[in-house]
Amino acid sequence: MNELLKELYQEIILDHGNEPRNFGVCETHNKSAHGHNPLCGDKVSLTLFVDDDDIIKDIKFSGEGCAISVASASLMTEKLKGKKLSYAENMFKDFTDLVKGSEDSLSTIDEDDSLYALKGVKDFPMRVKCATLAWHTFKNALKE
Amino acid sequence: MNKDKIIRKDIRNDFPILSKKILKTKDLVYFDTAASAQKPQVVIDELNQFYKSHYSNVSRGVHTLSVESTLRYEDARKKVQSFINAKSENEIIFTKSATESINLVAQTFYDKYMSTGDEIILSLMEHHSNLIPWYFLRDKYGVVIKFANITESGEIDVNHFESLITPKTKIAALTHLSNVYGSKIDEKVSSICKRNNVAILLDGCQSAAHLKIDVQKLECDFFVFSGHKTYGPSGIGVLYGKENLLNEMPPYQGGGGMIGEVTTDKVSYAELPAKYEAGTPPIAEAHGLGIAIDYMNNIGIENIFNHEEELTKYAYEKISELDFVKIYGDANNRNSIISFNIENIHSHEVSSFLDVEGIAVRAGHHCCQPLMKHLGVNSTSRLSFGVYNTIEEVDIFINALIKCKEFFIK
Repeated sequence: MNELLKELYQEIILDHGNEPRNFGVCETHNKSAHGHNPLCGDKVSLTLFVDDDDIIKDIKFSGEGCAISVASASLMTEKLKGKKLSYAENMFKDFTDLVKGSEDSLSTIDEDDSLYALKGVKDFPMRVKCATLAWHTFKNALKE
Repeated sequence: MNKDKIIRKDIRNDFPILSKKILKTKDLVYFDTAASAQKPQVVIDELNQFYKSHYSNVSRGVHTLSVESTLRYEDARKKVQSFINAKSENEIIFTKSATESINLVAQTFYDKYMSTGDEIILSLMEHHSNLIPWYFLRDKYGVVIKFANITESGEIDVNHFESLITPKTKIAALTHLSNVYGSKIDEKVSSICKRNNVAILLDGCQSAAHLKIDVQKLECDFFVFSGHKTYGPSGIGVLYGKENLLNEMPPYQGGGGMIGEVTTDKVSYAELPAKYEAGTPPIAEAHGLGIAIDYMNNIGIENIFNHEEELTKYAYEKISELDFVKIYGDANNRNSIISFNIENIHSHEVSSFLDVEGIAVRAGHHCCQPLMKHLGVNSTSRLSFGVYNTIEEVDIFINALIKCKEFFIK
């Protein structure tokens, strides 16, 4: 089997793609956004509850899309829960750098991180948008 | 099989890009001609030659190069006229794309023949390019848009279509060959329109490179197609319109070349076809399209059709044997396009997997979101054929589909 495909579809990606974590809607939420990739039709809806100290206490997503976009959304929610917003914004930047192939100045994601599993996307430039859809939706939710 | 019906074996040598290796090792299997066709060497060479030896602006000067350019530009128009059997070359308007052709018709047809409350009929399987120009009219002027249903097999429901017509219906705009199903329109639709005094526009983007087009037999008022899907360059589209309509409708854009006389307080317009060609047109692209038409004519459009029909039937049969694949629409009346999904695998995964095997297919909604909704899916994969594809490539594709399923569903 081709190495690039193995790199793209690591076990953890297929696992999260098939059985996404934090799927649904937060019972109590104060931030939300819908994301849509008009080129392919993938959709994601995100809800968050952020407390007074700017900590993400709860985060869930729903929607439909390919394994890469669903897995990325699932991994993102796992990672962001409990994080401070300022740190989460740094993760946004690091993650988008990672999937575009520049991993030199990452401050919040290291090689042992589950998000690192999406690094293989860099060899499939047309799939970068799949991997970053949930993250851009997160960013939009913060603008509320 | 009749010998002259066979596409010559070395046809692939006409298309230099087909010798490209994907990821340095895999032979390219190009199954995305419905998105854009690859270009034969002769088109590439002629574009090059045109810029090297003949290029200038058209219809504007009297010097040698202007004459040489103009001759080639107008020669391309004659080639298009005969390619689709239009009565007059005045009925052939060059645009930048089929999309622009449809926008032109929507705007100028409305201006001349429609008003608020009038009705337009589209179908649920139109490409966004044959939806949005009409949505603009709905938003701006309050026209009513009705949608004809699609049958299980992927064709317009002719009875439903006919039932939508009222005295307020002014135009129907429909795909000649669906870019998702590959199904050809039932030609009864044109006669129904004619009987009810409804104009009809056919979107020929997916048919022009595959079927013999005869706009007179089709009884359509407008027919559009693009250069890049017919082995020609991008940046050139064609609008065919009946001469009396094009004469009556107002110009689309204003600019150089489309005028008769201009004073400080008024303007008169040029005769057809210049009336609709404001500004410097896609000159080399029109010439390139003319060469592409020569290329198709040399092979014979019937031969292309037969070759692709054989491929489509073979692929349909082979894919049908795979119980994990769902095909959209059925085989009758289908040409050169098959849309499908592998159960429980998103089309993106299928497309990325096939790409690594060297196979180019389209994944996504194919600019047909209303149809995707109708089918209850988010997206599909689509293979589509051109003159250069082979049975062997279909076999490679089938093997790759099996591997793909095994990769994702353990």
